[in-house]
Amino acid sequence: MATRKPLPPRDESAPDVVVVTGASRGLGRFCAERLHEAGYRVVGLGRTVVTDAPFEMRETDVSDPESIAAAMKDLRRDPNVYALINAAGIASMNLVVTTPPETVRRIVETNLLGTVFCCQQLAPALIKRGSGRIINFSTLGVPLAIKGEAIYIASKAGVEGFTRVFARELAPYGITVNAIAPGPIDTALIAKVPRDKVDAVVKQQIIQRQGTPQDVWNIVSMLLSAESAMVSGQTLHVGGV
Amino acid sequence: MPTGYDEIESFLRDEVSSLTGLPAEAVTADTVLVGNGRVVDSADLVMLLLAAEDFSRDQLGAHFDWASDSAMSEARSVLRSVRSLATHLSQLAPAP
Repeated sequence: MATRKPLPPRDESAPDVVVVTGASRGLGRFCAERLHEAGYRVVGLGRTVVTDAPFEMRETDVSDPESIAAAMKDLRRDPNVYALINAAGIASMNLVVTTPPETVRRIVETNLLGTVFCCQQLAPALIKRGSGRIINFSTLGVPLAIKGEAIYIASKAGVEGFTRVFARELAPYGITVNAIAPGPIDTALIAKVPRDKVDAVVKQQIIQRQGTPQDVWNIVSMLLSAESAMVSGQTLHVGGV
Repeated sequence: MPTGYDEIESFLRDEVSSLTGLPAEAVTADTVLVGNGRVVDSADLVMLLLAAEDFSRDQLGAHFDWASDSAMSEARSVLRSVRSLATHLSQLAPAP
């Protein structure tokens, strides 16, 4: 009778692995650097492999399941994988009626499908481990319904719905799934957004200060901690709404 | 010697028995895995698929993509029963 090969034991002396998508820039890069500093082994995924990152980078198109599968092939069976942070995202401010179909497709494929595909690929590693964290990224724009961001917000609303359901599916395995919804953080994503538009959003936050990458990292750090084991399926709004 | 259908079916029956607590003799090739009459819940099914993925790689040298369209299609699902899953695994081509 064929016997099942035992899973490789987790190497307690090795650092936990955190996979970060969108790690070549923006919030993904910021979080990946903080994770690296905190002692995690970081595997960053990005369409562009930056050479100045202090962590490992792998070229990946998150909208392509085969690209993700290739990038995560070894990680899917790595017992030290602890968390996935889906920070890859693109935006395009435009009215719905003037947004080209290809742009619509790219935004949904990167923001929503990319999150789904990465979760599909890495969840088995966390299930085998019996614990773990998945952190997705939404936007404060979902509850605020900001004009001109319909496609972006639609994709992120999808991420929030996915997060709630996936949290239920993974709860039996000790895995939490949450989303962080920042307002306008000063990154390349909003570099072309006029100042008055940014200020208008900030004024709608409970805490009327523009958030920083550090504010986002503080929440990521909290969600990664063992103490957050009872927080799942939630969307945490940076600045409040 | 290559792993044949019988060994694959035996492996799957053992896994289902282990996951569900059913006596080994109660799990057969016709044991239903999804849909009406299934013996595994969704959490157990995921564990079974993970085990099948490992088994395919380690014993068959093949990649079992259980999220593929053909594997998950309701009508053509290879997950209907122990037999259909064992048949699917036995027909996987060795990974390049």
